[in-house]
Amino acid sequence: MSGGLDTLAQPGGRGMLGRRFAFLEPSMALWLVLIAVLVFLVASPVVRILVSSFQEPETGRFTFANYAEAYGNWRQLRAVVNSIELGLGVALLAGLFGVPIAWAISRTDMPAKGFVRLMVFGAFITPPYLGAIGWILLAGPNSGWLNKLWMAATGAGHGIFNVYSMPGLIVVVAVTSFPYVFVFVNSALDLVSSEMEDAANILGAGTLRTTFRVTLPLVVPAIIGGLIISFLEAIALFGAPALIALPARFHVVSTQLWQFFEYPVRVEEAAAFSLPLLIITVLMFWLQRAIIGRRGYAAVTGKGGERRTIRLGAWRWAMLGYAFFVCALAVILPMTVLLQAAFAKAWGRGLSLDNLTLRNFTYLLFEQTQAQQAIVNTFVYSGATAFAAIGLALAIAYVVNRRLVPFSNLLAFLCMAPFVIPAIVLAIGFYAAYAPPPLALYGTAAILILAYTTRFLPIAYTASAAGLRSISAEMEEAVRILGGGRLVAIRKVLAPLLKKSLAGSWLLVFIPATRELSSAIFLVGPNTRVISVMLFDLSEEGNFEVLSALGAILLIITVTIAAIGFRVIGRDFMVRSAR
Amino acid sequence: MIGHFASRRDILKGGAGIAALGIGALAPRSASAAEMTAREKELYAAAKQEGSLTWYTAHYDDQTAQSLGRMFEQLYPGIKVSVVRTTAQVAFQRVSQEIKAGAMQVDLLSTTDIGHYVYLKDKALLEKYVPDNAGRVLEIYKNYDPDGFYFVTSAGMVAMGYNTTKLAATDAPKNWTDLIDARWKDKVSLGHPGFSGYVGTWVVTMRKLYGWQFFDKLAANNPQIGRSIVDTVTMLNAGERVVSAGPVAATMESAQRGNPLAMIYPTDGAVLIVAPSGIMKGVKHPNAARLFMEYLMSAEASKIQVDRFGETMRPEVSPAPGVVAAKDVKTIRPTVDEIFKGIPEVIKQWRDTFGV
Amino acid sequence: MSKLALRALSKRFGEVAAVDEVDLAIAPGEFVSLLGPSGCGKTTTLRMIAGFIDPSAGSIEMDGRVLSSPAGSLPPERRQMSMIFQSYAVWPNMTVEDNVAFGLRLRKLAGEEVRRRVGEMLDVVQMRHLAGRYPAELSGGQQQRVALARAIVIQPQVLLLDEPLSNLDANLREEMRFEIKRLHEEFRITTVYVTHDQAEAMVTSDRIAVMNRGRIEQVDDPHTLYTRPKTRFVAGFIGRTNFVEGTCDGATVAFDGFALPTKLIEGEVSGRVTFSIRPQSMRLSRERSPGGAGRPQIAVTILERAHLGEFWDYVVAPNGGALRLKVTAPPLDVYAVGEAATLEIDPRQMAPIA
Repeated sequence: MSGGLDTLAQPGGRGMLGRRFAFLEPSMALWLVLIAVLVFLVASPVVRILVSSFQEPETGRFTFANYAEAYGNWRQLRAVVNSIELGLGVALLAGLFGVPIAWAISRTDMPAKGFVRLMVFGAFITPPYLGAIGWILLAGPNSGWLNKLWMAATGAGHGIFNVYSMPGLIVVVAVTSFPYVFVFVNSALDLVSSEMEDAANILGAGTLRTTFRVTLPLVVPAIIGGLIISFLEAIALFGAPALIALPARFHVVSTQLWQFFEYPVRVEEAAAFSLPLLIITVLMFWLQRAIIGRRGYAAVTGKGGERRTIRLGAWRWAMLGYAFFVCALAVILPMTVLLQAAFAKAWGRGLSLDNLTLRNFTYLLFEQTQAQQAIVNTFVYSGATAFAAIGLALAIAYVVNRRLVPFSNLLAFLCMAPFVIPAIVLAIGFYAAYAPPPLALYGTAAILILAYTTRFLPIAYTASAAGLRSISAEMEEAVRILGGGRLVAIRKVLAPLLKKSLAGSWLLVFIPATRELSSAIFLVGPNTRVISVMLFDLSEEGNFEVLSALGAILLIITVTIAAIGFRVIGRDFMVRSAR
Repeated sequence: MIGHFASRRDILKGGAGIAALGIGALAPRSASAAEMTAREKELYAAAKQEGSLTWYTAHYDDQTAQSLGRMFEQLYPGIKVSVVRTTAQVAFQRVSQEIKAGAMQVDLLSTTDIGHYVYLKDKALLEKYVPDNAGRVLEIYKNYDPDGFYFVTSAGMVAMGYNTTKLAATDAPKNWTDLIDARWKDKVSLGHPGFSGYVGTWVVTMRKLYGWQFFDKLAANNPQIGRSIVDTVTMLNAGERVVSAGPVAATMESAQRGNPLAMIYPTDGAVLIVAPSGIMKGVKHPNAARLFMEYLMSAEASKIQVDRFGETMRPEVSPAPGVVAAKDVKTIRPTVDEIFKGIPEVIKQWRDTFGV
Repeated sequence: MSKLALRALSKRFGEVAAVDEVDLAIAPGEFVSLLGPSGCGKTTTLRMIAGFIDPSAGSIEMDGRVLSSPAGSLPPERRQMSMIFQSYAVWPNMTVEDNVAFGLRLRKLAGEEVRRRVGEMLDVVQMRHLAGRYPAELSGGQQQRVALARAIVIQPQVLLLDEPLSNLDANLREEMRFEIKRLHEEFRITTVYVTHDQAEAMVTSDRIAVMNRGRIEQVDDPHTLYTRPKTRFVAGFIGRTNFVEGTCDGATVAFDGFALPTKLIEGEVSGRVTFSIRPQSMRLSRERSPGGAGRPQIAVTILERAHLGEFWDYVVAPNGGALRLKVTAPPLDVYAVGEAATLEIDPRQMAPIA
């Protein structure tokens, strides 16, 4: 081949319009648009809430009265304490559930991994309020199945489990939150090459020591990330506390806020009352940054990794036993009870052949006009939300990671900020900002999808940022120096490399969106009802049979979609057995 | 029509159901029957143009509400009914939100808290419409609002329910005041006035009869507090609690399905709840709403209600044999004004006494 | 006109000047290395040339056109350059062929043309038989070849290499060094090569710019750099050396333990001067040789010795002085510690340093 320097045409085919345009990156305009969208979604409702908290209800004049009202009442203060207690308890328990199982699946030879994974997934797609109902059926102090079993076995006068208590609520919420911890820790552990552990083993450290001193510390950011998400989920949850805390006669912040929205609606006081949650979450965010620091966690630089499993010997059965115990709590027990109710004429009558019926399902699918619409709505809205959230989050994560604009950390903060606000309050903010004219989005699908997108932006962002962080910047630089712009780099290299991670992130948004209640409850109109709100309405009148049937429908469809999703993601194409 | 499965099978089922309970072999009327009044025809024509109706109701449980909606669709083909069943306060709150947003989704509002209507009428948010059927209902349900902005379309009673497997009839409480007896500790099930209009009215009545000390003492018995008054049925069914202050219609309907429940009518009187409906101003389908209002006060609607152990609105429709109706027992009822002022008050007092 | 010109190029990060007033002109087809220890600014300079970093001051020009300046910079995709990265940055989701074809496809070449050029390039780097493989199946050296092929096939104006061999083991490094040189000779692309390894730089480069703390200490061809280092740093960084201080009083330059006539020294000297004398430029012998006036002979005593297989390392001290000099000797020249010997110095190989 000749060494001639015949210049090839400049890539992109564009002539130089002028020095100034040539010097600008063409994608800059896109980034600015995205930033504007972020401001619209996150900043505007938040600002409305903050401003409202200082406003008098009718006149809009500046006042501190809302804060005085909100915090002057001992009962309301107690609600804040309860929320924190709930959050801490849930985070701790979710960690205790999630981390060992993630480790066992990722790094050891524990048997039945597929089954455990399936159960964890089941816990993930179960809405917390559905789990709560299952647990009410299981552990109601007089009527719960577990208690009845206990009473029958020991002859005691009353049961030992009381789901209507703070510990009860913590367990109920933790078993649906621990999948978050599991997912984060499992993916992180999957990236750790066995060489790290080999190095420790050669120096004489046994399995446990290596795990605690080497393996787990490597994934500390993931663990912390998972715990923080569990905490924040728990304090913002509405459905499960409404079902359990109310009969237990205590309030958490979300149920208390619900009261502020009874008639007459007191948005301003609610705004003031949501402030502690805001502050707590900001602190959490700061804490996470401080712990992780500026250490880079680039674990993938174009070379695949290699993983070997740790042999546990007889201990693997103990490990499986623990995993099974958690799965029983999270999925097997509640689902069994709910299934029984779904097929029962009257669930209180227990398992008997004459109590079996399909009527609940036929009623829902063919007679109840709302149910069909609700089912379709749920999945359409959730899908739209997932695409919107991932798209936006990835773009913002890219802008932040590559430092395309000054103050990019502020963008990251904005993406994470929706965590801060209890879903209920976020919904109110959206309602206050966009429901009335000029946008007049009340009762439309748009306001619901926008609110959902905002709500799930933090999850989408965390996943996207983690995915981006794990890809070396040089991959993209190689594209750029060869003539491709940033967008080409994203399309041809980043997106394919992130494919698996993005698909996972999509599901990570889609599935919680299908079960989302707290923000939906204020934003649905009669034509945009979703399954979660319907379930909640049904629980109001205690129609557990139909409720269980609807819950079953929700779960079946979600599982199907997720299963399809996993097939599409395909095998891990980056690690091929070669050398 | 897409999205709504009014098949021939369902019509037959509906008819068969009514026949099975021996109510009477009155065949369902169809729109083409000559029995439609002139006003009805006029309304139907206009409503058909509108094409659909959104109904927020707290008057019944979900299944009853759905049945009423379906029957309407069969009687007046071409009008789709969107039935949204919630508790009274939730329905009212949604309507308030819609008013504030200036975007009415609801057409007809049916809550169980008559105080809502006093408020709405006061703020000129209701539309005046006097149904033809207004003059054909039972006397006790007439003339709640002489100005014609709202009308009673359903009624029900709150009495004491109990689980028959856990309690013999002889041991059951006889009167409301029995509930504060220490032997019912951990055994009582209630709803919450902050959600349910039925419970709100019951609490106002109890306060009127016995003073608030009644509830202070009741709190000492650690009752289970749900949200809707229908929650009490679930709690009794589950065996979680043994006695309730519960709705007669839902409790008896559940018993009929095979659950171990029975009802006690207190000696001081069961509380009679009259639940009105009203058409909001500026709604999207006003004619459909009017037609529906007529329908709710018609014989067909009363048949369905009676079919599900509710009260009948019409004198010509009698309850099922063996079923207790309001006219058969002693009932007590607070005045509209007492309800209007009392419910917000008792909600506050309840929170202080019960902590939630 | 030079192909690439760096004029007073600077980059500050906060208070620290990572690159400080760098001036460099690179001729078309020339292979220039930026050599220096870590933190000297060579990679930052390279990334400024590539356009990933904007300069704080100064400018970068190519063919007379300004590419970077504090006022604004052309983005990397418009510079028509290529780069080889330390991590190879071969895209794991594409085959070898797709990797190499990427730049060509961006330039909208016809499919046939692309296939042809890619095939030829793969032949050049001897990777044709692996064209359908994925990077995860290749060794480090093979991945580096893919990176090279990918970079060269688009015929860039300038080729940039950022420590491309530091991830390879020693044997592979030597092989790839020659490979890079061979490719340069074949294609004659203007190349800027960043490394901390002097051997790499010496083998491949037409000229080497030695950098220290953000500044260029000296730019010369490898031979000149070795024989005529201008600063202490350069002398010490390229090969090993002895630093010897002398005072010139006109006719003689006096050192500690010996003296030399000034006229034997190449270059102007006056006052106190430090000289760099390479261990290889002196000779040990047992007897004084008639050598000649041009080669001073000094009586020394052997202080230390180390046998490195290919040569001996001796540390000797001139009698009557405190100086210590490192000398290398062929394997058969064996001296014992404490033995007396004669050291012959070649003044032409003594480099005066500022």
